[in-house]
Amino acid sequence: MLETRNLDKSFGAVHVTRNVSLKLERGERRVILGPNGAGKTTLFNQLVGEITPDKGQILLAGEDVTNLPVARRARRGLSRSYQKNTLFDGLTVEENLALAASVHAGVAMTLWRDALQSPQVREIVEEVAEQVNLMPHIHAKVSEISYGVRRQLEVGVALATKPLVLLMDEPTSGVGPEMAKGFHDLLAGLPRDLTLLIIEHDMDLAFAVADTITVLNYGEVVFDGLPEEARGSKLLRDIYLGAWEDA
Amino acid sequence: MFRHTPLRYAALIVLFSGAVFTAFTAGYFGMEILTEILILAILVLALDLVAGFGGMVSLAHGALMGLGAYAFVALATKGGLDPVVAAAAAIAITAGTGWIIGAICARSHGIYFIMATLAFGQMGYSYFFERPFFGGDDGMVGPGRFDLSFIGVDLNDGRSFALFCLALLGLVYLIAVATLRSGLGRSLTGVMHNEKRMRALGLTVWRVKADVFGISGAMAGLAGVLAAQHIMFISPKMLHWTVSGEALVVVILGGLGTLVGPLIGAVAFVVLKHELSHVTTYWHLIVGLVLIAVVMSRANGIFGFIEARFGPRTDRMIQSIQTRDDAKEAVKDA
Repeated sequence: MLETRNLDKSFGAVHVTRNVSLKLERGERRVILGPNGAGKTTLFNQLVGEITPDKGQILLAGEDVTNLPVARRARRGLSRSYQKNTLFDGLTVEENLALAASVHAGVAMTLWRDALQSPQVREIVEEVAEQVNLMPHIHAKVSEISYGVRRQLEVGVALATKPLVLLMDEPTSGVGPEMAKGFHDLLAGLPRDLTLLIIEHDMDLAFAVADTITVLNYGEVVFDGLPEEARGSKLLRDIYLGAWEDA
Repeated sequence: MFRHTPLRYAALIVLFSGAVFTAFTAGYFGMEILTEILILAILVLALDLVAGFGGMVSLAHGALMGLGAYAFVALATKGGLDPVVAAAAAIAITAGTGWIIGAICARSHGIYFIMATLAFGQMGYSYFFERPFFGGDDGMVGPGRFDLSFIGVDLNDGRSFALFCLALLGLVYLIAVATLRSGLGRSLTGVMHNEKRMRALGLTVWRVKADVFGISGAMAGLAGVLAAQHIMFISPKMLHWTVSGEALVVVILGGLGTLVGPLIGAVAFVVLKHELSHVTTYWHLIVGLVLIAVVMSRANGIFGFIEARFGPRTDRMIQSIQTRDDAKEAVKDA
C-alpha cells in the first residue's frame, strides 16, 4: 500500500534519511522507533510531500507519488497527524472533523450549501467521533477541551479524510499513562484495512499495536522485523531500548 | 467560523433602521452622505470577506472597485450596452480579475501578499491613468442611472437611489454570510487558522483563496458600478492605493472579521470625514488618531469593543428569556 525505495535526504552536511526502503502491506500496522534525531519525522514529511527527497521513490497503492504536492497525495489517501497539535482552535470538535470530511466528500469548495449539512460529511463526522471517542465533546470548542482529548481530535481530523494510509507522529506525545492506554484501545478499534505507520516512544503501546517494527538510527533503517524479534535484538537494545528495558 | 449573535442581529437592525430613517428624513446632502456610506459599506464588506476571514489583507480592492466603475462606464457609453447589462458584465470582469489576482497572490503571505496586491492595484491605476481611450487623467462621464421605471422607481431621485444601494448592500451582506457558511467559506476559515493542515487534508488552498477573492472582487465591482452611477463621473483616482488603504482603515476601525463591524466602520468613517472636514482640512490626522486609539485599545475595532463589553450580557439575557419561556411552557403542559 505504501512503499519507499532508496529514499535519501540531506540538509547540507547532515544526512537525515539514508537509503530508506520500506514496504507496508494493506492493513499493516508498523511502528517506527528510533532515538531523537533519528529522522523519523523527516521521513514522514517526505512521505506526505512537505519535504522533497533528494533521491528515491515513494509509491502509494502502486503509483509513484514522489513528485505530487501535499494536497494531491492526501486526496489519494495519504493522511497524517502531527506530533504537535495542528487543530483549528476557534472551531468546535465537530467543525474540525467536518473540515477534513468535507474535503473527502468533495464539498469543501461548494458555494450553494453548508458542508456541515452534507449527509456524507455528517456521516463521516459521527463515525470518526465514535472511533476516537469524541462524541461527549462534539460541540465543545478546541480551546475548551483537555490536551489529551485534543490529541484524540488530532488523530480524528486525519481519519476524517478516510485515508488508505494514516501516518501518526507520536499520537500519545505529552499524554499521561491512562490516556495512553486509551489510545491503545483507539488504535485497536480502527478499521483493519487501514494501513498505519506510527512514530511512537511509548514502548508498551508500540509493541501492543505493531504488526511490524522499523528502527531508524541516524536516518538509516537498522532494524525491520516483527515485534518479538525487536525485543530480542541486541542492536536495538544498544541504540534505543536500553533505557526502556532497564526502567 | 462566522456566527450571528444576538448582538450582531441587534447591530444590523439598528444600522438598517438608521439607514431607512435617514433616507426618509434627510435633505440633499444627508442623502449624498448616506449613499456614500452605503457604497463604501459594500466595498468594505468585500474587503472583510478576504482580510477578516481569509487573512488576505488586500490593497487591490480600490483598484477592483475602480475597474468595475470603468468597465461599466466604458461598456455602457462606448460599447452601447444597456446599463444593466454593462453593470453585470463589469461585475463579471472584476470577479474574473479578482480571481486571477487571488490565484497569483495566494502563494504569498503577510507583507508579501499586501505588496503583491498593492502592485496589482497600482498597475491598474497606471493603466487607466495613461489610456486616452478611458479619458486618461480626465476620467470619464458615466451613463445615466438604471432605468427601473417598469417597477415605478426613478433612480434619479436621491432617496430612491439611496434605498436601491441599501437593498444591494443587504444582498451583498447575505451573499457574504452565505459564502462564509458554505463549504468554501468553512474551508477559507480553515485556511486562515492553519493553511498547512488544510493542505495536508487534501485541500487545494490556492483555489479556495482565488475563489473567495473572485467573489470579493465581484462585490468591489458592484461598489464601483454604484459609485459611477452615484457621481456619474469616474477618474483614475478611484483605483489609487489610498482608496484601498482607506477601506482597510474602515474595516479595522469597525472590527475585522465580523461583517457587522465594517458596516459600523463605514458609518463612523464617512460621518467623521464630513463633520471634521468642516472644522479642519487635516481631518485625516484626527481619523488617524481615532484609529490608533482603537488599535491600542486591543479591542477588535468599534464593534469588537461593543462585543467584548456587551456580548456576554446580551447572551445571558437571551438565555434567561429562553429559560423563562421554557419554564412557562412546562407549567402550561403540566
